[in-house]
Amino acid sequence: MKKILCAAVAIGLGAALAGCNSSSDSTPTTTPIKHLVVIYGENVSFDHYYGTYPNATNPAGEPKFTAAAGTPSVNVLTASLLNNNPNLTNVANGTGVSNPFRLDRSQAATADMNHDYTAEQQAYDGGAADLFPEFTGTAETGASGAFGTTGLVMGYYDGNTVTALWNYSQHFAMSDNAYSDQYGPSSPGAINVIAGQTNGFVVGKSSFTDYFIADGQGGKTMMGDVDPTGDTCSSTTDQGSLTGKNIGDLLNEKGISWGWFEGGFDLSLTNADGSTGCSRTHTSSVTNSLKADYIPHHQPFQYYKSTSNPTHVRPTSTQSIGQQGDAANHQYDLQDFFTAVKAGNFPSVTFLKASGFQDAHAGYSDPLDEQTFVTQVVNFLEQQPDWNNTAVLVLYDDSDGWYDHQFAKVGNGSFNATVDQVTSAGNCGTKGTTAQASGVAGKGAVDGRCGPGARQPFIVISPWAKANFVDHTQTTQASVVKFIEDNWLGGERLGGGSFDATTGSIEGMFDFTNGGKNPVLFLDTSTGLVVSKPSAGLPQ
Amino acid sequence: MPVESRSMTRVWATAFTLLAGAFLWRYSAGAPAPAGSDGLNPHPVQLRRPAQAPLSGTAELGRQIFFDPRLSAAGTMACATCHNPDHAFGPPDGLAARFGGAKGELQGNRAVPGLRYLYLVPNFSIGPDINEAENVNLNKMATQSAGLARAQKTVGDATSAVAMVPQGGLFWDGRVNTLEEQAKGPLLNPLEMANPDIGTVATKLRKAPYAASFVQLFGAGILQNPGLLVDEAMFAVARFQVEDVSFHPYSSKYDYWLEGKARLTPAEEHGLQLFEDKDKANCAGCHLDKPGRDGAPPLFTDFQYEGLGAPRNKELSVNKDPHYYDLGLCGPMRHDIAAQTQYCGMFRTPSLRNTATRKVFFHNGVYHTLEDVLAFYDFRDVQPEKVYSKGPDGKPRKFDDTPKAYLANMDVVDPPFDRKPGQAPAMTEQDMRDIIAFLGTLTDGDQAQGTLAVH
Repeated sequence: MKKILCAAVAIGLGAALAGCNSSSDSTPTTTPIKHLVVIYGENVSFDHYYGTYPNATNPAGEPKFTAAAGTPSVNVLTASLLNNNPNLTNVANGTGVSNPFRLDRSQAATADMNHDYTAEQQAYDGGAADLFPEFTGTAETGASGAFGTTGLVMGYYDGNTVTALWNYSQHFAMSDNAYSDQYGPSSPGAINVIAGQTNGFVVGKSSFTDYFIADGQGGKTMMGDVDPTGDTCSSTTDQGSLTGKNIGDLLNEKGISWGWFEGGFDLSLTNADGSTGCSRTHTSSVTNSLKADYIPHHQPFQYYKSTSNPTHVRPTSTQSIGQQGDAANHQYDLQDFFTAVKAGNFPSVTFLKASGFQDAHAGYSDPLDEQTFVTQVVNFLEQQPDWNNTAVLVLYDDSDGWYDHQFAKVGNGSFNATVDQVTSAGNCGTKGTTAQASGVAGKGAVDGRCGPGARQPFIVISPWAKANFVDHTQTTQASVVKFIEDNWLGGERLGGGSFDATTGSIEGMFDFTNGGKNPVLFLDTSTGLVVSKPSAGLPQ
Repeated sequence: MPVESRSMTRVWATAFTLLAGAFLWRYSAGAPAPAGSDGLNPHPVQLRRPAQAPLSGTAELGRQIFFDPRLSAAGTMACATCHNPDHAFGPPDGLAARFGGAKGELQGNRAVPGLRYLYLVPNFSIGPDINEAENVNLNKMATQSAGLARAQKTVGDATSAVAMVPQGGLFWDGRVNTLEEQAKGPLLNPLEMANPDIGTVATKLRKAPYAASFVQLFGAGILQNPGLLVDEAMFAVARFQVEDVSFHPYSSKYDYWLEGKARLTPAEEHGLQLFEDKDKANCAGCHLDKPGRDGAPPLFTDFQYEGLGAPRNKELSVNKDPHYYDLGLCGPMRHDIAAQTQYCGMFRTPSLRNTATRKVFFHNGVYHTLEDVLAFYDFRDVQPEKVYSKGPDGKPRKFDDTPKAYLANMDVVDPPFDRKPGQAPAMTEQDMRDIIAFLGTLTDGDQAQGTLAVH
């Protein structure tokens, strides 16, 4: 009976009912956090969204942003970087020489940049960060209404476009020192947030060879995009898998509930536009671009035999979602998350990936579609009885190659003659001096993991988050793995050279002594402005 | 070095096969009304139109730029001069190509396309593009699809194979993907607005009455960066086209007929039937006329490229040189896929919305009435002497605007182009008149028509 009452409350009748929290609550944790929800976005650098935080231009007719008093200082673009940027003065950038410049809200749809492992290293130019137009400047044009210019890579949005994220930053906590674990695009970024280790790559099928390198120990490291082996929706010509362990394996060993929930994963559904199967699509009303919902190379657990659901099997039941032994093996459709939570089955660890059109990736998606997704999810979670012990993390799989001024000193070296370039030709770091982690075989240092990579936004939204706080602790995507391990798994580490052992902690963004009193913040899902009552919609 | 999803270019083998079936199914919305019915759509649908909102600051800036003649070398030619708002943003007269240049004396090379409904044109690709392949290599895609047999395009075709053919892009040859890039073309074209360089345009923008808007929207530094300034200006023009409802009103009689709010006359109804009949005109084989499953109004184009082989047009001064040929996808205005000679002579299928307001048709403006256009489709193959001029041997010079080397690219597969000399034409004179009547229902601004149904 209590379960039914609790389920009714979870469906959104507003007030929390005492004792109605999900069974995840009884799982022991070292912090008050019983539910972690990781919103993993696509392709954003820190300066691209926060370059002038907390100052927005506020032209007439656009959602207004004004910083609260006492907003701490953040490592953003200084006057010198805005007006006399090295990307302007370095003539090697050719016709693309440019200062950073404001992208207007009407320019939410832009072309996409080059976010290659090597191109990003070249843009950072040994730390000078002055060759972005030359190396990571525009790859694709974007759809018909997109904005493009030679120096586009230097463009940034402000609080009139990424209004919701800036508002979350004002009320909760953010980092200005969070990076991807290594340079390069989505697939390695996705792997790093669940495993911190892209070594141990095995080719399934291959018509190209540019997404992996020989690691120098007889194995391979993934450093580019490739679809997971065996996934029904994967490319038929190029597929790969990984042999290491990931955080899902550790959670499974302890029977802790978890799942990765991605748009378009349920192949049996038909969208409003009639699309179905692997070709479920949406047309963004912002970019006017038609895009697949499910993007296989963005789903990291599919690369591991132990955690994959290659044929997209449906969960056994609503109550089995996230549980060990469920037919879907922890890999679900985005909608399954909302179904489960509403039914009182809120997993301990959740990763959410929007359908393509809302994932933020320049070219086919954009910050406004992303904003709708993020605010709908956070508004929903803030209304759950479990909100009192939930933490939402918003972070990104890679930087898209967008300009960011802050170079992180090489922490993990790599010395492949062709692909490594950040320090000098063939060098990421200094051989013999720079640390270099071992591979999954544990035999010695492996190549292909040059990092940390580019700086990206990282926001913590939780009743336990500090308010209007900026953390400067250096962290990476693998810091998510570390937090899960520290909170649920007694500090266990993956081993095998994973970055979970060496990366920083995100706990500086929390205050576990404040009683979890940081109040909810509801935002409008179109404008990102603060509202007192959230609208009802959920992402498709 | 390739980046994300290069493997996506290969996904088409499986995923697109699934998509194509869904894609075509999406566009089915019931059979046309039988003759003798009340002129109403027996299967009315709810069309989804873009939300109307006040223009953003950027779009308003774009509107001012669009109407500013000072942006031309002659000082008299704005975007709106050739893309006239009173003519569906198309040419205001029947000139095959309009005159521009610093003194307004130079004739262009192609007919002016209309600007309505371009905001949904997909990027140029070989085959559809839902799983965006980054760092697209068009020459590679073209080579990969070269061996594939080309399916016939007929109305109601239920084939599940997806056409790996060129599609999308703006201009007659798809050489740019964005409205911003398209707007820049005429600015610098010596035959059109004829600015010698970007710097000249930037200077004009800095002196314009709307210069302050650039600073408000894009920051103080914008006026000092000529390349960026011109790009922002062209983006503003693009934004005007994307936001302003006059560029996509979906207010034609046909739109209202689809929604059950208007009756077609018997001639228009008959014309629609012929339009959709693969044994008659088969227009809907390329000029798609069905709404999407989610209410997206039909755009009357599949965005693909065809080599129709329209007759050479003496009205174009470029054609005085007998060695000059406009080859569309493979040149001379487009350069990147010149090696793909299997595409020479192919031009993009335009939308038929508002076609009845035009007095110039096809890329070379060779026709000035819809009657002549329909006659081209009807007689090109069965009685070519009615379409082409006579050669010295007394025979019609069929495909005289395509060099011999590329005659194999001409469309002889899609009905009615699959007929042979001496066969009966696909349409009678009455048929063609009725189709033209139907085409008249595709003109926007029809709210005032007296034939609206009363329910």
